[in-house]
Amino acid sequence: MSRSKGVGLAAFDRSRITSAQFASHGSNLRSTNAQALETQLSVFRSLLQQFAQTHAKDIRSNPTFRAQFARMCAAIGVDPLASSNSSSSTSIWAQLLGRSVNDFYFELAVKVVEVCSDTRGENGGLIEVRKVREGIMRNRMEGASEITEDDILRAVATLKPLGSAYSVIKVGSKPYIRSVPKELNTDQSAVLEAVQVLGYVSVSMLMVNLKWQRARAQTALEDLVGEGMLWVDKQSVGEWEYWSPGFMLEGQDVGGGILPG
Amino acid sequence: MTSPTSDSSATTAVPGQFQFPREYFFPPFFTRQTNLTTHHAQLVKWSSLVLSYCAHHRIYKLSISSSGIYSSNSSTLPQQSDLDPDSQPNPNSQNSNKLELFHNPKINRQLSLSDIREVIDFLRKDNRAEYIYKSEQPPNGLVDSSYNHPAGGGDVVWIFWRTPEEWASMIEKWVDETGQKGSVLTLYELTYGEATRGTEFHGLDPELLQKALATLVKRGKAQIFGQEDSKGVKFF
Repeated sequence: MSRSKGVGLAAFDRSRITSAQFASHGSNLRSTNAQALETQLSVFRSLLQQFAQTHAKDIRSNPTFRAQFARMCAAIGVDPLASSNSSSSTSIWAQLLGRSVNDFYFELAVKVVEVCSDTRGENGGLIEVRKVREGIMRNRMEGASEITEDDILRAVATLKPLGSAYSVIKVGSKPYIRSVPKELNTDQSAVLEAVQVLGYVSVSMLMVNLKWQRARAQTALEDLVGEGMLWVDKQSVGEWEYWSPGFMLEGQDVGGGILPG
Repeated sequence: MTSPTSDSSATTAVPGQFQFPREYFFPPFFTRQTNLTTHHAQLVKWSSLVLSYCAHHRIYKLSISSSGIYSSNSSTLPQQSDLDPDSQPNPNSQNSNKLELFHNPKINRQLSLSDIREVIDFLRKDNRAEYIYKSEQPPNGLVDSSYNHPAGGGDVVWIFWRTPEEWASMIEKWVDETGQKGSVLTLYELTYGEATRGTEFHGLDPELLQKALATLVKRGKAQIFGQEDSKGVKFF
């Protein structure tokens, strides 16, 4: 039975040499690998950068394009808005795009905050994303680029690191931005969802449609009025109506149409 | 003193339709909100509506009574009737126009008298309104259905969409720019004269003009002299 490993002192040398060879080969492999990766990464980086720079204008001005770009980044595992590691405070987008896209969302976030705090008194800190968009678009100058609800949602996400109370919640099928740290209970959510249909609800409407007891409907409505999320109209025919502040509609033509009696 | 009827058409005519804000078509806007924060937001919106509405129609005074809200613009010189509570609720009076401001017929909603008073008080805190004549408060605040009480107590209130100080500085600037410092101008020609045509204070309510000039006098920037009917002012 022959043994590959010799006996005697030379065997120690040989094994040392072998392991050294393995080690050097390993590090060779590693460095080639790393080099290849680095090359790939830098190629990718420069391509992405090139892409972003060529299309920076489109990214800023074309909402569909911007959404696609954001989706592409997400698909390849780059979170464009997240800060890269602790050492540098700039995000990948900031590095790649010379801040322009990044700033786009930060600027938008500032506007979102403005709209939310301007309207907090009238809506209790809960506002439909669509309304935020309308509010921002209204204040923009003529010819400013279009923004979408998707952009607004991304912008709200940029506020997270600030530990702010801003978050996106769903009421029914519609996204809302909540700018006060307040949880809605299920009854309240149900009422807000019902309000979306006509702009208002009444106690009996809730009783009929949600099969609630009067007291339950009354409580849910009064809670929401207490939160400032609904306005009460006592001049309606019959019982009081509770309106969503989101239904302050533009224009005079709409005014007559939405009223029931 | 002559009444400037020939001028009034140019200055007090309604210049186009007033664009009401969206909340004017929101039914609960006409109900006092119970939530404090909401109510405050409501008052802020009402105040800015009142100011922009009055500015648009160049209304300087509102007369508020249980029989309705009227603008009591005196495009003529001050009339005693403006201070006379009995003549206020008369819809046939030339200077009184019933206002759609607090009443939106399209959605059949109106702000109650006590709520209107609250808006006025809110404006007063901001120095944007001032009572000229204040009637006794009605025994209870719930008077908005009392349309048939012509003798209802009426308040007359200044609505300062520009404060007297703001008018004053506007006039002062004009006097300065036209090099009329040191010369004497009559109050009439300040607001109804050819020279001020095109300025913002052309057609300004005469009483308000005096209030504005009084702030200049207080600062030693002007001096008023003359009799009741023919007052003049000299700017320094």
